[in-house]
Formats: sequence, structure tokens, C-alpha cells
Amino acid sequence: MTRHLLGIRSLDADSIGELLRLGGEFKRRVLDGRPFPALPTKTVGMLFFEDSTRTRVAFEQAAKYIGLNIVNFTTRGSSMSKGESLKDTILTLRYERLNALVMRHRQSGAPRLAARFFGGPVLNAGDGAHEHPAQALGDALTIIERKGRLEGLVVAIVGDVQHSRVARSNAWLLSKMGAEVRFVGPKTLLPSHMALLPGRVHYDLASGLDNADVVMCLRLQKERMFDGLVSSVAEYARLYQVTQQNLEWAAPDCLVMHPGPLNRGVELDDEAADGDRSLITNQIENGIFVRMAAFYWVFGHGWHDLERFDREEARA
Amino acid sequence: MKTLLKNGRILDPSQGLDIVGDLLIEDNQIAGYGAALAVSEPDEVYDLTGMWVAPGLVDMHTNLRQPGFEHRETIATGTQAAVAGGYTLVCCLPTTNPPLDSPSLVDYILDAAASPSAGGAFVAPVGALTVGMKGEQISDLSALKRAGIVAASDVGAPTQSARIMARAMDYCTQLDLPILAQCEDLTLSEAGAMNDGSVSAMLGLPGIPRSAEEVMVMRNCLLSLHTGCQLHVTGVSTWGAVEMIRQAKYLGAPVTCDVAPHHFALTEESVGEFDTRFKTNPPLRTQVDLDIVLQALHDGTIDCIAAHHAPYTGHEVEVPFGEAPFGVVGLESAVGATLTYLTHRDVLSPLETVRKLSTAPARVLRLEGGSLKRGETPVAQVTVIDPNHHWRFDTQFTFSRGKNSPWQGVDFKGKVVLTFCGSEIYRDAAFPPDRYSEGPVPA
Repeated sequence: MTRHLLGIRSLDADSIGELLRLGGEFKRRVLDGRPFPALPTKTVGMLFFEDSTRTRVAFEQAAKYIGLNIVNFTTRGSSMSKGESLKDTILTLRYERLNALVMRHRQSGAPRLAARFFGGPVLNAGDGAHEHPAQALGDALTIIERKGRLEGLVVAIVGDVQHSRVARSNAWLLSKMGAEVRFVGPKTLLPSHMALLPGRVHYDLASGLDNADVVMCLRLQKERMFDGLVSSVAEYARLYQVTQQNLEWAAPDCLVMHPGPLNRGVELDDEAADGDRSLITNQIENGIFVRMAAFYWVFGHGWHDLERFDREEARA
Repeated sequence: MKTLLKNGRILDPSQGLDIVGDLLIEDNQIAGYGAALAVSEPDEVYDLTGMWVAPGLVDMHTNLRQPGFEHRETIATGTQAAVAGGYTLVCCLPTTNPPLDSPSLVDYILDAAASPSAGGAFVAPVGALTVGMKGEQISDLSALKRAGIVAASDVGAPTQSARIMARAMDYCTQLDLPILAQCEDLTLSEAGAMNDGSVSAMLGLPGIPRSAEEVMVMRNCLLSLHTGCQLHVTGVSTWGAVEMIRQAKYLGAPVTCDVAPHHFALTEESVGEFDTRFKTNPPLRTQVDLDIVLQALHDGTIDCIAAHHAPYTGHEVEVPFGEAPFGVVGLESAVGATLTYLTHRDVLSPLETVRKLSTAPARVLRLEGGSLKRGETPVAQVTVIDPNHHWRFDTQFTFSRGKNSPWQGVDFKGKVVLTFCGSEIYRDAAFPPDRYSEGPVPA
């Protein structure tokens, strides 16, 4: 069975735990300049149907650290823009002997379809409003670094949950690892039916932030206003902006996170975004190390391979 | 030529008939039936002990795709699928390219359906309610009616303007033409891919709220009430839509409706991990809707079961869920699904089952079908169903070009084994050969 990283929902707590441990360990070794096992001779394709410089760079950095060769695809000006189907694109990449695929697509579920035809591992770099698993792993590693755990934490996810893959992946990960998830936002930006999503709904920021250990803000897409979902950015900011001041409602050592790109003065004020509690830059950096772990893991390796590597290194 | 169907359970809702006996087809006409028919020297005899003998089934909602989309289905393959599914008469919707908005296109369909290469089922064309299915200008419905349409419809492009719909209803009332309406408010359903519910929330797919259907069912029912136009709501899927129709009937509006098999048997949970075989419009709903739909089938609020046959080719559905077209094939699975989920679960009696699949749709659209009475149909139309035959639905063995079925691999109890439509006889592989004999019956 080929391993994929299509989402967090389909992973069990053991796999998530292993990915996080691997991510933490890769980080320590990279920062300390210590050796770690590489994945040479493998080639990974970066297939971004939606532009995303930051996510692409994070995956490329991770791939380089772990020794993978990278092939980049631009969807503009390629066969895909000439009407080639996703299936045929994926089959082409398969027989161009790529070993793994990192894929971003505007349609929920598209990476799962790609995985059916590709043969090798597929890593979801964001699909529609479905999942963004690497983001959630990076965020979790960031929380663990500060809090030492996920279990028992109260995490408030604030903003446009309905259209957010980051919200879904984080909610799955946190709840599977024993945290309590709250979804906070206006009714128009929360899914109308929450029965299958792991978290409680709060329409009001004060109750949503009450005693929270972590606040995760989501990006507000400006086009939401034209859909009649938000009357104005100013109103959204007035009701849901996380500020240094309203963080008083949260636990005293509450952490503030944002997946980026940040609309300053909308989701967060400057003080909250740049303050001591803000982990935004840590999230970016940790995103690289969990992606190293993801590559290592989808190629069938795990913690025990890392230990074996260390034994062999010691012997050599 | 005398064909004797012996010992079957003869079910004819058009005359409330439910007897065990024999039915004789002579020179492509029904010659008689009775508990023990004395027939001298039949040319062929089918022993139908344990099987149902019903009027040929009638479908109100078939997309035959020709002209314009022959890669999905043709009139020939679609009518072959129809007879294999027990249908001797299918209404073809105006979802062709160009849409059926001119008499010459109606002629074309009728000619193609009558050609020897076609499957043998009758085709009753349904005309486009508006020119080009654009929802703006009402088609030349009187000329279309003269050419042979049996109803006017906006399936595929639901009429958004209440004003246009009201005028179309006035017009159709005068022409005595039923309207087959797809009830959907596109401003509410726009961009949606599946039911707006907990599964769409989990999968991050844009939802189609139940209100998109219910608002339009209510509007169209009220317009029907006030204009007196005969309205048939095709494809109800929510409990609210059912209740609106129940209320409209109570108020005396000339309203009928049908349901597709996937809407009385499946829920949004079937979508699973983005399985495009379960992408339908209206979308698969929830267990609550299913419960009310079953109740409404039982109490008669839902008049008919329609196949909602919407074939697509493989490459059209092997795409991300959001990009896949809405619709599934249905002609060859409708009977299996109906008997499995309704008849064998006591939602419908055998007679009511046949009524919903044959007599009621024929009555609603005033078609020559749905009856075993001599002279009610141009030629004998008889469908034989083995209600206890266990089989697994597999699109490998279906006639339709479309293989997009939600029933792939599903076990059914109940199958069409014989379809007679005049001289055209479909005998399914499931019909036991030893139950057929030629020449006089041995004494």
C-alpha cells in the first residue's frame, strides 16, 4: 500500500504522533548540523494548480534538506491549460518516472483522484476547502514546542471556517490528539451543519476565546464580502479581530497563530500579531521540518528507520 | 402469432387487477387474460410461475442525449437500455443540443426511435419550455405539440423568472400540455456540488441547500394553483418539497411528482471520499428526507418513480468532484432498486409498485401505456419481472453508454426478465430457458 498524505482526517493518532516526532527530530538535526537519513535518487514533482509561493517554497526547502530532486510544473502554458484532464496529467507524470507528487488544487478531493492514477505517494498541499495537512502538522509542532503537549489544550479557530482547509486539517489533528477545538466566527462563515466536524461553534468572540490556550486566526478572503457573507471588512474586524486587548479573555499564556498571508488590522491587530505570544514566524519555519517528515514517512520510513540510521552512523 | 404468458401474477393498476393467471398476446396485441385461459395452439409459451406480468413500464425522465451528446448515449442505445430495464415507453427530455425547441427536432427524435436499429421502446419527446432552454422566451409549444411532444419542460435549465413561468403555465393550460419542472432556485444552489449538510461541511465541498429545491417547488405549486396548469415536479428529494406538494394537492392544485430511486434509497453519506458516482441534482439528502420520501411513496403523495437516466462517459466523471457533471444512469437499475428498497420492505405492494413505474406516469402525461387493457396501447406492452431474482448490478453488462451508476456492485432482489413491446421482445439472460417453449404445450 502506497502511503499518501491526503489529509489529517484519514490518519490515526499514532501516525500523526510519528509525523510530529519525526518533524521535531529533523528540526533539531538541521539546526544542530547533525546527520539525518536522506532520500536520494527520488524525484518529487511540484504540481500547483493554484499559485502559492509560500507553500511551494516550504515543500521545496523540505525536499532539498531531505535530498530529493525537485521538478517544478507550472500549470500556465502547459498541456493542462490546453485542456488536458487531471487524470491524463497525472498519468503523464507517473510515466515520466516521478516518485512523488506534491499537489495543490482548487477542488476539494482532487489529490485523492490523483493518488488513484499516480502510483507513488501524493502529498496534498491544499485542496479546495478540504484539507491542508502539512500546515496542520507544522502548527501542531509549533504548539508542542511551547506547550509541550496537545492533549487537554483549548484551541479556538477564529474566522472563515467554511472556506478554510487550514481550519479543517487543524481541527482534525487537534481533536485526534486530545485537544478541545472551538470554531469561532459569524454564522455566514461557519458550515451550516457541524455534526461531522470535531468542534463546538461559538458565534461570539468573547465566549470563543474564553480561557483558550491557543487562538488560531484564519485568513479572510476579501471576495467574501461580495458573496453577502460579511457586510464589510470593518464590521468583521470589529466583531472578530483578535487584539492584544481581547486576548485578556483567553488563558494568560495563550498563544496566537495565523497560517498567513495575514491581513494586518483585519484578523489580528499589530500588537497581537507581533507580540510575544505570536507564533506566526515559528509556524512558517516548522512547516519545513514537518514536510521533511512527511516526505520521509510517505516513502515508507518511520521513527525506527531513524534509530537504525543512528546505529549505523555510530558503527561507521 | 400467439404468445402465451402462463401462470404469472398479472398486475394491472389501470383496472385494479391482481390475479394469478395467463395472458395472451396475439399479433402484437393483448388478446386476453384470465385465471386459466383456454388457448388453442400457441406459437410460444412462457411459464411465468412466481413472476409478475405488468404493463410495460413508462419513464418520465430520460436523457437520451441525441442529438448533440452521442458520446454519452444515443436514441438506439438509450432505448435498448430502456427495454432491458423493462420500459416500453420513455419520455426524452429536451436536454439535447440543440434543445428540443422546434418541430423538426421532434420529428428527428421520433424517426430515430422508430428506426429498426433502435431498441424498440416508444419515445415520447418532451419539448423545451423556452427557446434554447434560456428561460426567456416561451417556445412555439402549439407547433411542438402538433409535432408530438407530450409535455414541456425546463429540466436542465430551471426557469428562474416567476413571470416567465406564470406565463408559460397560462400558455400550457390553454394547450392542455403538462409542464415537467425541475424545481431549483439557482441563486441558492449556485456552485454547490452536493447536499449542504454535515458531509459537505466535512469534505469542504460547496453545498446545495434544501431550500434551493423547496422554494421553487413552492413557487411552482402556487403558480399551478393559480393558473390551473398541470404541473409535474420531477425529482423531489427533500422532506420540505414533499410537504409542499402534499399541501398543493390538498389545496386542489393539479400537481403531481416523481422521485428517483437514488432519492428513496441513498443519502449524502454515499458520497464517501468524493465519489462522483453519487453526484446528482438534486443531491442525495439525509435519512430524515429518506424517511419522509418513503412515507410519501406509501401514502401516494409521490405519484411516480422515474429513472432519472442521465448518462455520462467515463472521462467526464473521472474528474474532481466539483468538476463532475450531475447525474447518474437509471433505466437498467430502477426496477431492481424499487423492488429491493420499496416492495420487499413493504413500502409498496406489488400493485402499487407497478402503478408508480407504469400506470401513474402514463396517466400523468396522458400516454398510451401503463395498461394491459386491449386497445389502450398501440401494441401490446408487457413487462415481466421476477420479484425474487437476486442479482448484482454491474455496468459491464448494461446497454447504456453511460456507466456512471451509484448502484455498481449493489445486490438487488427483483429483475426485469422479459419485455414485450409489439414485435420487439427482450429476453434477459436471467430468464430460465426451460421456462420457454415453442409450439403447442404438451398435454
